[in-house]
Amino acid sequence: MRVFGSNELLKDVLERDLCIGCGACMELCPYLKSHRGKTAMLFPCTLPEGRCHAYCPKVEVNLDDLSLKFFDTSYEGTPLGSYRYVKTARAGEKVDNGDFQAGGTVSALMSFALKKGYLDAAVLTDRKGILPVPRLVTNPEDVFTCSSSKYTAAPTLLACNQAIKKGYKRTGVVGTPCQVLALAQMRSNPMKEKDFTDPVGLVVGLFCTWALDFRAFEAFISEHVDVNKITKLDIPPPPAESMEVFAGDDKIEISLDEIRQLIPETCSYCIDMTSEFSDISVGVLEGRPDINTLIIRTERGKNIVDEAQEEGYLVVGEIPEENLEHLIWAAGNKKKKALIKGKQDGLLNISEEDKRAYLRVNTKTIEKIIA
Amino acid sequence: MSYLADNNEGVQHLLLGNEAIARGALEAGVKVATGYPGTPSSEIMESLSKVAHGRNMYVEWSINEKLAMEVAAAGSFARLRSMCVMKQNGVNVGSDFLLHLALTGTREGMVIIACEDPGAHSSINEGEARMFAGMLEIPLLEPGDFQELKDMVKWAFDLSEEIRNLVMVRSVTRLSHGSGNVKFGKLPEIDTNVDAGFQCDGFILDPDKGAMISMPVNHFHGRLQEKLKKAREIFEDCLFNTYNGVEKPELLIITSSACNLYCKEAIALLGVEDRVGLLKLGTTWPLPPELIKKNLSRTDNIFIVEEVLPIMEGNIKVLAAEMAPEIGVKNFYGKNAGNLPTSGELNPDLVLDALKTILSVEYEDMPESYKKKAQAVALTGAPNRELTFCPGCPHRASFWSIHGALKLDGRKGFVCGDIGCYGLGVLPTGFSTIKALHAMGSGIGVASGFGKLRQFGMDQAVVAVCGDSTFFHAGINGLLNAVHHSSDVTFIVLDNGGTAMTGFQPHPGLTVNAMGDEVPGLDIAAICGSLGIRVEIGDPFDLKGTQETLTELIQDKKGVKVLILRKNCALSPERKNKKDYEMHIDEGICLGENCGCNRLCTRIFRCPGLVWDQERKTSRIDEAICAGCGVCVDICPAEAIKKKEAA
Ligand SMILES: Cc1cc2nc3c(=O)[nH]c(=O)nc-3n(C[C@H](O)[C@H](O)[C@H](O)COP(=O)(O)OP(=O)(O)OC[C@H]3O[C@@H](n4cnc5c(N)ncnc54)[C@H](O)[C@@H]3O)c2cc1C
Ligand code: SF4
Ligand code: SF4
Ligand code: SF4
Ligand code: SF4
Repeated sequence: MRVFGSNELLKDVLERDLCIGCGACMELCPYLKSHRGKTAMLFPCTLPEGRCHAYCPKVEVNLDDLSLKFFDTSYEGTPLGSYRYVKTARAGEKVDNGDFQAGGTVSALMSFALKKGYLDAAVLTDRKGILPVPRLVTNPEDVFTCSSSKYTAAPTLLACNQAIKKGYKRTGVVGTPCQVLALAQMRSNPMKEKDFTDPVGLVVGLFCTWALDFRAFEAFISEHVDVNKITKLDIPPPPAESMEVFAGDDKIEISLDEIRQLIPETCSYCIDMTSEFSDISVGVLEGRPDINTLIIRTERGKNIVDEAQEEGYLVVGEIPEENLEHLIWAAGNKKKKALIKGKQDGLLNISEEDKRAYLRVNTKTIEKIIA
Repeated sequence: MSYLADNNEGVQHLLLGNEAIARGALEAGVKVATGYPGTPSSEIMESLSKVAHGRNMYVEWSINEKLAMEVAAAGSFARLRSMCVMKQNGVNVGSDFLLHLALTGTREGMVIIACEDPGAHSSINEGEARMFAGMLEIPLLEPGDFQELKDMVKWAFDLSEEIRNLVMVRSVTRLSHGSGNVKFGKLPEIDTNVDAGFQCDGFILDPDKGAMISMPVNHFHGRLQEKLKKAREIFEDCLFNTYNGVEKPELLIITSSACNLYCKEAIALLGVEDRVGLLKLGTTWPLPPELIKKNLSRTDNIFIVEEVLPIMEGNIKVLAAEMAPEIGVKNFYGKNAGNLPTSGELNPDLVLDALKTILSVEYEDMPESYKKKAQAVALTGAPNRELTFCPGCPHRASFWSIHGALKLDGRKGFVCGDIGCYGLGVLPTGFSTIKALHAMGSGIGVASGFGKLRQFGMDQAVVAVCGDSTFFHAGINGLLNAVHHSSDVTFIVLDNGGTAMTGFQPHPGLTVNAMGDEVPGLDIAAICGSLGIRVEIGDPFDLKGTQETLTELIQDKKGVKVLILRKNCALSPERKNKKDYEMHIDEGICLGENCGCNRLCTRIFRCPGLVWDQERKTSRIDEAICAGCGVCVDICPAEAIKKKEAA
C-alpha cells in the first residue's frame, strides 16, 4: 500500500471531487474537518505520509492487499466479494418495533452486540434535521435512535477515530461500502505502528448504490419546502420511483430522476455495492421492504448472527434464488461500470512517480470484470 | 508641564521632528488642533493634547481626516488659529472639503500638516499629498531640517493670514520621526479672554464678514488665484529658500525636505563643494520664478532631488522652458533622466551614487572586500523576523476563527480588509485570510459590492473586517451601503478598544477624548443594531464559540450580518505586562511533528510565545515572550498545552 500525505489527498481526492465525505480522515488531527457534508482542509499539513491519506477510500486503495489481509486471497472481483452465505433477516421478537429502514437487522445486531459486551461502543449515523451526523453510542438502547437510512453521505467514520482516541478497544461500526473500505485500510495498520491492535470489534456494512451530496440536496430541497420543517424523508420501494418529503402537515413527492442528479460523481467510481470488507453486510430484500438481505462474511460475523438468532434478537431465513441472482447481477454490474469509468479516466493502477492511483487491482481481475 | 511649553526663548531642546512641528504651532498660538492618527504624524497631536488645557487650546482626534479639516476650518472662520494633522492619504480623505475650503478661503491662520511616508514604512501606499497643493491652488511648504519644522510651521500661520487661505506643510517620516536640536522661540501669552465668533452677516463677497460659500465660483476661483499669486511673490524673498555653494557651480542641485540632508551629506562625502551648488527650496508650490531664474542661470546642469514622484522637477522644467530664451537650454538630471528612482525613499547613498555618475567622480566609501564581509555578517547576524501579531494579540485568534469558518464553509470565501494592525491578516500571521486590502473603511465597502454579485453566479462567502477606530472613520459608510442594498456579507468589527496601530489614541467608541476629558462613548453594537440587522458579540479568545457563530453567519446567505469581536489589544494599558495564565507544555504529551499534529502551534498558529525545540522535537513556551492569554490551549489537538491561572 502506498501512503502519502494530506497534500496528495487534497490533490487526488478533494480537488478531483472524489471525496464522499466518509469521515475517515477526520478527528485524526486539527487539519481535516467536515462541515455540512463537505470536507475541508483548514490549514496545510506538510507531512509526506499520514493517516488521512492512508485511510481514504478514494485514493491508493489496494484491493489485493486488503483482500489478502482479510480473506487470505488476492482480489478476485466476484460481485459480492468473499462471503460464507447469504440469508434474509429481520429484527426478532426481543427487539421493540423501531423506525427501521427495512427489517431492523442492523439496529438489532448492534444493540445486541453492545448488550452482550462484544462491543464497548458503536459508531452510527444519526441526524440533525436533514443533516446526517456521526454518533458514538455505548448504550444498547441508543442504537435505535440512529435507525433508518439517511440518504446523504455522512462523515460517520470520524466517530470511529474519536472512539479510538477515547481508548475504546472493541468498537462496532455501521457504514456504507466506501466507509467499510476506509475502515479496512484503517484496520490493516497502514502506518506500520508498533503494538497495533485492530480496534474494531464488528463491521456491519450496508448495501449502497449511491448517496447524495448533502449541500446539493439541501439546496435542491429548500426550493420545494422549508428545510427546517422536514420531519422525515423516505424512498418507498419500487415501482414508486420517488422520494417522499414530510414537512409539517405536508407531504411532497419528488421524482427519483431529479434526486439522482444530486449523486456525486465519486459514486460512479465506486466498485462495491455490498460492503465487501465487512463482517456482515445488510441490504433490503428486493420486493420485501420489511426484510433485509444478509451477507455473512467472517467467523465473528457468523457467530454474532447465530447468537442473536438463538436469543430472539434476529430472525434469519433463506433467500429466494431469484433474489440472490438479482443481487449478484446488480453488484456485478455496479463493479463493471465503475471499473470501466475508472480505467477510462486513467485512475487505475497508475505507476508514475508523482501520480497516485484511485484503485489498485491485479490486471487479471480487471480484465475478468470488464470483459 | 511638558518641555514643549518651555517659555525660555533661545533655549535648545532635542526634539522629535513631530514635536518640533507641535512647538511651531504653539509658538504661533494655535487654538484649535485636530487630526486623525496615522504614522508618521501621530506624535504631533499627542504632544499638543498634553499641553492643551494648560495653553487653553481645543485638541481633537476627529473620527476621520475630513471631519478634522472641517472642525479646524470652523476654528479659523471663528477667528482662531487652527491646524489639522494627518498622514499622506488622510489628505485624500479630506480633499473634497479642501476643494471647497480653498475657494471660500480662511480667516485666522489655518495650516494643514501632511506627514508623508516615502518608502511606505508604515503605510500601504506611497501617496503624494503634494499634488493636492497644485490641484487645490494653495501654497506648499517643505521644511528641510528640524529647526525649519518648527520655524516654518510657525510662519505658515502668518502666511495663511496674509493670503487668507490655508497653507499646507509637508513633512516626511525621516523628519517627523528623526530627532534634532531645535532652538525655541517665544510662546505667546496664554489668552484666556479669546473672543471667538463667526461673523457672517456682512456682504456676501466680504472675506471678513460675509458667508463662507464658494459661489459664485467664478469670482471665488479668481480670488483664489490672486491669493496664490501673492504667495508666489512672498516666496521670492522667503528665507526658507537658501542657496549654498560657489557662485557658478558646475552642477546645481535643487532639493527640498529631507532630501536637503541627503544632498548635504552626499556633497560632503564626495568633497565636491567647489563643483556643486545646493538650492534648497522651502516653498515648493507655487515656485517663485525670479528666484528659480537666478539660480538656473548659475549653470547649465541641473539635478533635481526629491522623493517619490518628480513633482518639483516638472514644475521647475516648466519655468525653465519658459525662461529658455533668457537663460538658455539646460541639461536636467533627476527622475525622468533615470538618476533617481520614482518610488521608495531616497537616502544619502542613492544621491551619492547619482552624483558620482553625473560628475564622473570616483568614490569608494569602504573597500569592496570589507563591504562583502559586512553584508555576510549582517545576513547571518540579523534574526529572520517576519511581521507578526504580538503575543496575546486578539487579531491572531480572530483570524484563526475567520480562516477556519471560511474553510469549513468551503466556498472559497475571502476577507476584504483595510488599514490597521489587522491588515497583517494578509500575511501568514493572519493565515493569509485577507485577500483585498485598500483604504480605511474599504473592507466593508468592497465587500458590499461583492455581496451583490450573486445574480451573476458568484457564490463565494464574503467577509469584511474593520477595526473599531476604522468603523467610525469610514467603515460605517460601507456598512450603511451594504445594509441598504441588502448585500450578502458578514462584517466583523475587530474591537480592540482603541486605535492600537498608532498608539491607542481615543476614538468615538471610548469615553475619553484627546485631552483626557470625559465624553460620551458610542456603542458600535447599538449602532449596528439600530440598522435592523443581526448583530452578534463575541470574545475572540473563545475560539470555539467564535468559529461556531461565524460559520453560521457566513452560511446565512441573506443580507448583512455583524459580528463584533471584543478584546483589548495585548499592548493596551489594561493588558500590557499582565498575564492571565501561566502557560506550560507537557513535553511527554506533545505530538510534535507526528501525524496527528505536525506542529500546529509553532508551524501555523505561530504565536511568538511558542517555540519549537528542534533537538527535543517538542514545542515549548517562551516564558519571556508569552503574554499568558491562554488561547493556544484550545488549538492543541493533544491537550499538551496547559494553563494555570496566574497568581
Ligand atoms: C446511503 C445509503 C444507500 C443505500 N442504498 C441501498 C441500496 O441501494 N440497496 C439496498 O438494498 N440497501 C441500501 N441501503 C441500505 C438500507 O437502506 C438499509 O440501511 C439496510 O437495509 C439496513 O436496514 P435496517 O432496517 O436493518 O436498518 P436500520 O436498523 O434502520 O439501521 C440503519 C443503520 O444505517 C446507518 N445509516 C443510516 N444512514 C447512513 C448513512 N448515510 N451512512 C452511513 N450509515 C448510515 C445508521 O447508523 C443505522 O445504524 C442504503 C443505505 C444507505 C445509508
Ligand atoms: S498527515 Fe496526519 S497530521 Fe497531516 S493532515 Fe494527515 S492526518 Fe493530519
Ligand atoms: S477519507 Fe473520506 S472524507 Fe476524507 S478525503 Fe477521503 S473520501 Fe473524503
Ligand atoms: S456508492 Fe459507493 S461511494 Fe457512493 S456512497 Fe455508496 S458506497 Fe459510498
Ligand atoms: S499543538 Fe500541541 S501537540 Fe502540537 S506541537 Fe503544539 S504543543 Fe505539541
